[in-house]
Amino acid sequence: MLFFSFFKTLVDQEVTVELKNDIELKGTLKSVDQFLNLKLDNIECSDASKYPHLSSVRNIFIRGSTVRYVYLNKNMVDTNLLQDAARREAMSSKN
Amino acid sequence: MSFFGFDTALPGQNKGSGRKRNGAKKNNAPMDFEDTYQGLGEYENEEDDYLNAETFGDGTELGADFDFGYGRGNLDANTSSAGHVEQPALNRSYASAAASAGPGALNAGYSLPSAHTMDEGMDFTPMESLWTNQSAVIPQQQPQNPIPQVLSMGEIERQQFQQQQQQQQHGYMNMPPMPPMGYGYPPHAYGPPGVNNTGYQGLPQDFSQSVPQGYPQGLPQGGPMAMPMHMAPMGPPQHYQPIPVPMQQHEQQTPQQAHHQAPASLPQEASPAPVLSREPSESPSSVQPQEVVRADQFSSVGVPEQAFAQEMRPPHNAPGNRGQAIIPDQVMREIAPRETRRGSMRKPQEPLSSEELKKLRIRQAKVDKILRHSGVMTPRDKDFITRYQLSQIVTDDPYNEDFYFQVYKIIQRGGIVGESNKGLIARAYLEHSGHRLGGRYKRADVALQRMQSQVEKAVTVAKERPQKSRENLDGAKEGVLGKISSARNSKAPRRQLQIPLQKEEEDEVTSQAIEDVVQSMNGVELSSSKARRRSSYAFRSVDQRAVLSRSGGRKFVLSLIETVYSEVLELEAQLRSGQDTDSSALWETLHISDDAYEVSPFISILSFDKGVKIMPRIFNFLNKEQKLKLLYCFFSELSHLNIIVTSSYKTNPDPSDSQLKKLELFQSVFLKIIVSFLSSSAEFLEVLGLLLALVKNNNVSFISTSKIGLNLITVLISRAALIKQDVSRGNVLSSMEASTWNEIYDKLFTALETKLAVVFPPDEYSSRVVATSSSGTVTSATVGQSSKHQFYDQSYIWQFLASLALSGKLNHQRVIIDEIREEIFGTISRAEQLSSTAPVEEQQIALYQRDKLYQDLNLFLNVMGLVARDGEISELK
Repeated sequence: MLFFSFFKTLVDQEVTVELKNDIELKGTLKSVDQFLNLKLDNIECSDASKYPHLSSVRNIFIRGSTVRYVYLNKNMVDTNLLQDAARREAMSSKN
Repeated sequence: MSFFGFDTALPGQNKGSGRKRNGAKKNNAPMDFEDTYQGLGEYENEEDDYLNAETFGDGTELGADFDFGYGRGNLDANTSSAGHVEQPALNRSYASAAASAGPGALNAGYSLPSAHTMDEGMDFTPMESLWTNQSAVIPQQQPQNPIPQVLSMGEIERQQFQQQQQQQQHGYMNMPPMPPMGYGYPPHAYGPPGVNNTGYQGLPQDFSQSVPQGYPQGLPQGGPMAMPMHMAPMGPPQHYQPIPVPMQQHEQQTPQQAHHQAPASLPQEASPAPVLSREPSESPSSVQPQEVVRADQFSSVGVPEQAFAQEMRPPHNAPGNRGQAIIPDQVMREIAPRETRRGSMRKPQEPLSSEELKKLRIRQAKVDKILRHSGVMTPRDKDFITRYQLSQIVTDDPYNEDFYFQVYKIIQRGGIVGESNKGLIARAYLEHSGHRLGGRYKRADVALQRMQSQVEKAVTVAKERPQKSRENLDGAKEGVLGKISSARNSKAPRRQLQIPLQKEEEDEVTSQAIEDVVQSMNGVELSSSKARRRSSYAFRSVDQRAVLSRSGGRKFVLSLIETVYSEVLELEAQLRSGQDTDSSALWETLHISDDAYEVSPFISILSFDKGVKIMPRIFNFLNKEQKLKLLYCFFSELSHLNIIVTSSYKTNPDPSDSQLKKLELFQSVFLKIIVSFLSSSAEFLEVLGLLLALVKNNNVSFISTSKIGLNLITVLISRAALIKQDVSRGNVLSSMEASTWNEIYDKLFTALETKLAVVFPPDEYSSRVVATSSSGTVTSATVGQSSKHQFYDQSYIWQFLASLALSGKLNHQRVIIDEIREEIFGTISRAEQLSSTAPVEEQQIALYQRDKLYQDLNLFLNVMGLVARDGEISELK
């Protein structure tokens, strides 16, 4: 649940999602679920000329398994807290 | 939250409408999760499927897709603006109906023409045989017909009762209007008209029976047969069958009728509605949208369908109702007046303009499209899935399973605990299902409440989940929703890397090997390896690996840090839940009073950034005695501290950027703790004890070559001096304390004497630090934007000298000045040079730097009553 928990904190923030087919979409993260499916709003394709069909898409649902990277702004992450959360998760999985 | 994947159109909406519809049976009580799902997945495959052949026909291949909605072609026909094409066909069917035995047109559309003959002895297809017992039902329709002679009231009642019973017996299973059959519906077809026309409310006739069945018959033969939508296999959805809404019906009727029926039919929907809401455990929250749709359907179609069904009745009626053939003419005659009558009740008759008709048709087509797959799942199914999905993401223990999110939100809000986790989830779910407004009646609060109760339920499910999945990993429930791996994976994701754990022996060998190498290299006596040496072997500590290996090995230290973290996290969790904390386990893991290692593991913990970062949180849980012990250990073994080694210009003349960052981290984290501890709770003697530990066990002059070391010494002496001043004001400082202080100061001074000048790093070092340091904050001061204006900040040195001089006597001060005279004058000349050589445009910066140099220098000089100004040193006035 760590990444689910983490991505939940990114809701309403602007992220860039790179898909496994190399499409890169920038948009506001609207929601995420436990499969890390993403819902983006106001999307913008970074290479619009290559994927013209995306120019008329405003919001999009992305299946989590097709995501390669999610780029975030550095200040959206509390790395120390993330470390703690990771440790907690590791602790709870040991028990 | 996977509200995306399924049709969430329902939750939260039905409240209002449900109330309106039936006014009664509202199920507001929270539902038992187990009750709300029919548990379809728990049933074994039916073995007595012997009727399947009748239902689906024998010829179909396994896996064939039945279109239980209605044929695509039909849909297309609807959407096409045609209607004209169908018209003749329909008329023909009328004609054939009227003829009551017309062999032709009507039959043409159906696969079994013979069935339409009114012949009593007609051999019905297997399907019909299924329904023979239903024939008795048909008379029930009679009342709606003003033909009085057909049945008496008593008979009607009896028939109704029979029908009821039959329905109870057969449930929905008894109505398989099957495509292969070609003719839609046997007797059942007339259910709805009967219901509506008689206006009865209480008869628990299944809604499903009524509406759809009438349809297929009404359909023009021309189009692909509208498939009866009643599919036997689809148990639950029965109540919400999509109703094919063939446009043709309107066309077939007089436009007037179609028009009037639309509005007229609405009120009549009331009768089907109770059926809808009668469903016992269906969650109210999911019903409404469908009802809305339904209303649409009805408004445009419901009545025509009735009428049509009636029209069509004769052919079917005959077989079902032997001997009671109704003369089509009569039927026709009846229908017209009835429709007219109803229409006139609602609205003055107006012919539909073609435009309106067109609009209506378009709208109808849209509705059809929407309805195409509606009803595939019942509200209960959807509720179940919603709850199942919720149960995956809610948790009973948010701080444990949703730690990052929870704490992050608290931090974001500045420590205020906001809305509860469950409330947030409920809100999010509502919002994303698009029903936050609460549906038609804007009961947002109600919708939210409902969703909250759903979440509450889901939490209960989530609590039970672990046991379930353990007992029955691939249990039936999980199969119901397809392959649900998330039940396990969201909690314990599949690992991409499997790290074998049997390598421990090997590790020991390597760390042992390292130790051997280290020891041989350093020539340490093996005998002394167990008793910790307190002498200053600072230069041996330059190799950090050596230090680590002497405190148990790198892996040991790293695992120690992790243990410390988990202890701290555990303690913090206890603190959050309001329990008392016991730091003894944490204290044990710090290994501070553990003499088994040559270098205390605690010192090695501080070699790692994460070890430094955890310190403030450790301090939160330690009591004063523990803190003192910890600091005593720290100061005793300062020479081994990695940070001292890396921040000393002697051992590390060329510091890297990351080393400088480490240095800053240490300063901002650990030094801060020490300062705050010393200033808030340390007694005078305790400060002296720490200073003594430092002086006794370390090479002070080496420590003074490092910035951190110098900072630490400064902190200790200045704190002691401050307490001394404070205390002396109250005259509490005992002579014993005073003499101890003097003794310790002498020791310190002796250690530093003749080496005081080494506290100043050489110019190469300072310039290298300035060049390396990417962000000149602590290490170097920045003026202006360009790195050209960065310079090494020496204020920490002058602070040290100032505090040393402050505590010393006059002869001490004299020694200090003697030793660093060159540095003093060097600084003054540098300051003067700056203002004279700087270009005009950089005059500002140069002036600032000059002031800074003087300021630092005067920090020290002022202690002795001197001041440096404009290139000269004078007495401080």
